[in-house]
Amino acid sequence: MVDTITQAKWDRLAPRFDSMAAKGAEKRWKPWKEGLFSQMDGKVLFLALGTGLDIPSFPKGKDITAIDISPKMIEQAQERVAGYEGSLRAEVMDVHDMPFEAESFDQVFTSCTFCSVPDPVKGLKALYRVLKPGGRLFMFEHTGSRHYPFRQMMDFMTVLTSKLGPDMNRDTVANVRAAGFEVTEVNNIFLDVVKTIKAVKPA
Amino acid sequence: MDHRLFYVVGDFIANLAIGVIVGLIAWAIISPSWNMWGAMFAMMALGMVLGLVLYFPVGIKLGAMEAMIPAMYTGMWSGMVVGMMSSMMEMPMRHAAEMGAACGIAEIIFIWVANTILRGVTRQPKAS
Repeated sequence: MVDTITQAKWDRLAPRFDSMAAKGAEKRWKPWKEGLFSQMDGKVLFLALGTGLDIPSFPKGKDITAIDISPKMIEQAQERVAGYEGSLRAEVMDVHDMPFEAESFDQVFTSCTFCSVPDPVKGLKALYRVLKPGGRLFMFEHTGSRHYPFRQMMDFMTVLTSKLGPDMNRDTVANVRAAGFEVTEVNNIFLDVVKTIKAVKPA
Repeated sequence: MDHRLFYVVGDFIANLAIGVIVGLIAWAIISPSWNMWGAMFAMMALGMVLGLVLYFPVGIKLGAMEAMIPAMYTGMWSGMVVGMMSSMMEMPMRHAAEMGAACGIAEIIFIWVANTILRGVTRQPKAS
C-alpha cells in the first residue's frame, strides 16, 4: 500500500522542486553523481526520480526503470524522461511496496532518497529483494555525521526539516548493513555528511 | 574544500555576509542591561535559526548541505559572540559588523579544514 502521507508531502513540493534544487545542489553535486552513475550496467532500478534532475547525468544507452512515490514529481519529470537517449521508464511506486519480481535487477541506484523514506531499513530490504545475488547498490545520499559538532547540528536541523521533507541525521550506512548488504565503499564528498555508498548483495 | 573557484569564493562571501547580518541583529537586540550568559545563549540559538533562514537565498546558487551547515554555524557563532560582547559593553555598530564578519570567515575556514580531514574513501571494497 502506498504511503499517502509521504506521497502528499512530495506532491506539494513538486511544482517548486526544480527552483529549490536545480541551480544549487544539483550543480554542486553533478561531478560526483556523474561519476557514480557512469557505473550503470545491465538492468538498472533508479530511485527516487523526482523531477528527473538526475537524468542528464545518466550515461546514454542504458536500460533504466525509475520510480518515485509522487505522481506530481513524475509528471514534472516527463520532458526529461522523454529526452533520455536510452530506455528509461518512469513509474509511480512506493519503495516499501514494489511489485517487481525478486532478483530482477542487476543494479540499484539511489539519489538523495533514504533521507526521506519513512522506514529506511524496510525500504533497503525491498531493494535487496529485487536485486540479483551479487547485484550492486550505488547510493548518493546525505546522512547524519558521526563527529562533533556536526552530529549535534544535524540532530537539531532534523527537528526543523523532517516535517517539510528529509531527515538530516540518518545513519544510512548502518541501515544498508542492517538490510543485509555488504558495504564495499563509502566515499565522503562533503564532511561525512554527503557521500556515495557502494554495497553488494552477497551471491 | 571544494576546489571550484565559484564555490570557494561563494562560500567565503556567503559566510562573511551571514556573519555580518546576524552580528548586526544581535547588536540591535542585546544591550548592556542583559545578563551575559542569557544574551550569549539566546543569541546562539537565534543566530542558528537566522543562519538557516539566510541559507535559503544562498543555497539557490551554492547548494544544499555545503551551504546550510556553514551558514548555521556562522549564525550561531556570530550571534553568540556579538550577543555576549553587546551585553558587556556599549559597542559601535561597526565593531558588531566586523566581529560578525570575523566569525563568518573563521567558520568557513573551520569547515574547509574539517572537510579536508573527513572527505574521501573511508572503506575499501571487500568484493569485486
